[in-house]
Amino acid sequence: MADFEFAASGDTWGVSGPTFLRFYLTAAALLVAVAVVHRIRLISGGREGGRDPLDPQQAAYLNGGDTLAVHAALGGLRAHGAIGVGRNHQLKATGPLPAGATPLEQAIHHAAGQRARVRELRRDQWVDRALTDLREGLERRELLLSPAHRIAARRASLALLTLIAIGGVRAVLGLTNSRPVGYLMLSLVALVVVSLFLSRVPRVTRAGRQALHDMRRQHAHLAPSAAPSYPTYGAVGVSTGVALFGAASLWALDPGFAEQAEIPRQAISSGGVGSSGGDGGSGGDGGSCGGGSCGGGGCGGGCGGGCGG
Amino acid sequence: MSGPTGVGIGWRPEIAGFVAELPGLRFVEVVAEALAPSGPLPSGLTALRERGVTVVPHGVRLSLGGAEPVDPTRIEHLAAVAELVNAPLVSEHIAFVRAGGLEAGHLLPLPRSRAAVDAVCANVARARERLPVPIALEPIAALFDWPDDELDEAAFLTEILERSDALLLLDIANVYANARNRGTDPLDLLDRLPLDRVAYVHVAGGAEHGGFYHDTHTDPVPRPVLELVGELCARRRPPALLLERDGGYPPAQALRAELDALAAASGFPVVT
Repeated sequence: MADFEFAASGDTWGVSGPTFLRFYLTAAALLVAVAVVHRIRLISGGREGGRDPLDPQQAAYLNGGDTLAVHAALGGLRAHGAIGVGRNHQLKATGPLPAGATPLEQAIHHAAGQRARVRELRRDQWVDRALTDLREGLERRELLLSPAHRIAARRASLALLTLIAIGGVRAVLGLTNSRPVGYLMLSLVALVVVSLFLSRVPRVTRAGRQALHDMRRQHAHLAPSAAPSYPTYGAVGVSTGVALFGAASLWALDPGFAEQAEIPRQAISSGGVGSSGGDGGSGGDGGSCGGGSCGGGGCGGGCGGGCGG
Repeated sequence: MSGPTGVGIGWRPEIAGFVAELPGLRFVEVVAEALAPSGPLPSGLTALRERGVTVVPHGVRLSLGGAEPVDPTRIEHLAAVAELVNAPLVSEHIAFVRAGGLEAGHLLPLPRSRAAVDAVCANVARARERLPVPIALEPIAALFDWPDDELDEAAFLTEILERSDALLLLDIANVYANARNRGTDPLDLLDRLPLDRVAYVHVAGGAEHGGFYHDTHTDPVPRPVLELVGELCARRRPPALLLERDGGYPPAQALRAELDALAAASGFPVVT
């Protein structure tokens, strides 16, 4: 029945190609404009928030999320001699909590006292709380986009997807009825590209990126390539180095600790090597060796040491 | 560009962040061979230059004491680096680091002979022809003396400085090391050196191994070396003192304490 109507009018949905395309592209342009404006406003917020200096763990969170914040705190605690690593990659407290320790450092020091492994730290409720506080603090300063903001930013691209679906249906119908759909197809390709771009919402705002950039320039001497003297720069220097230049700084400070604690050599983003495998065998303390935790590149030696005996 | 003044420290990438935060710093030294002659400077050095801190390139591989003429490309490098940092002077050692195509990898002492004086002076003259700024020469610490030395240390150095018209970079830790390892009196050398030619003074730490005092640059500055700084300043205070540390860097607090000790021993303003 529908076919009959279309056939009768000749045009899909009774609207001529040029007319449809005119309305279609106008709607698309509006949606894209709204999405872009919304996005720019979101990302370029936080100019005020970027003025105050970041502490090392804030910088680490901006740079690499939960994982890097934990690593930065581990570096600071290790430089103080407050934590070590014992059998089976379990952390241990080897000294008192340093004065002026951050909440995250306090939580990790406590977890180390409970013999947590590094990859288990994020499941510790105190560590989780401290990481949440860290994240929310950065969101309040508009250096980091909150999940709600990111969802809102994606919503604009969802509207665009709806438009693409409508265009797609019309193109298919047009094709089956041997109507010309060349310009519509071209428009669709362009819209898909734009919507893909818009669906990728960054975590860090422009002010956040700028703050990180400034901090990296100010602390260029902490780049592992400068072979920084960590004893001279102290625990804050170690934390800052890890925050800005990744776990490579932790490896440079104390390769034995980094290896035994299963710190991936380069873990800028969360969900890296350290979180793979291992979760299945949750129970016992022994026997984590054969599993996922030691399969990867860097930690063969750690396994031999921890499990050989 | 003013010459080095006050208490300074050897700029090394490992401690660049520490050096950058010394508020009173007016003078650093940088290993010339560590810099690219065409630039760019390491960002830490650029920031110091913008603060008006004097940067003195310190060569370690020119081999001015070699029997063969000094390599012109090495002089060109030192000259280019001096231009790059707008240095008031450069410095090198009275030593040789290669001979017969072999690289020693160390600063080796010269026999204190008249022939050696001739060789050094000829090389210094070659260097000065191409260098845009004056050169200061640094006597090294030696664990041994060559047999049949014709001159003692003071006469040897004085003659080289007078004939080459170079400045003196006096390493007070080397004076201490040599006197202690040879069993001589360091004050005797201080009394006989041309102290009016001193451009600046190196102070470094060392340690005793196997009955010898080694000028390691990786240990704290021992008390007798600081006392020798005091003795030197009582005779004639040099324009500047520089703390040399090349490894085993201690916590910032300990480095600051060493710089403060230099200021206290010399009467220069504290830089920390």
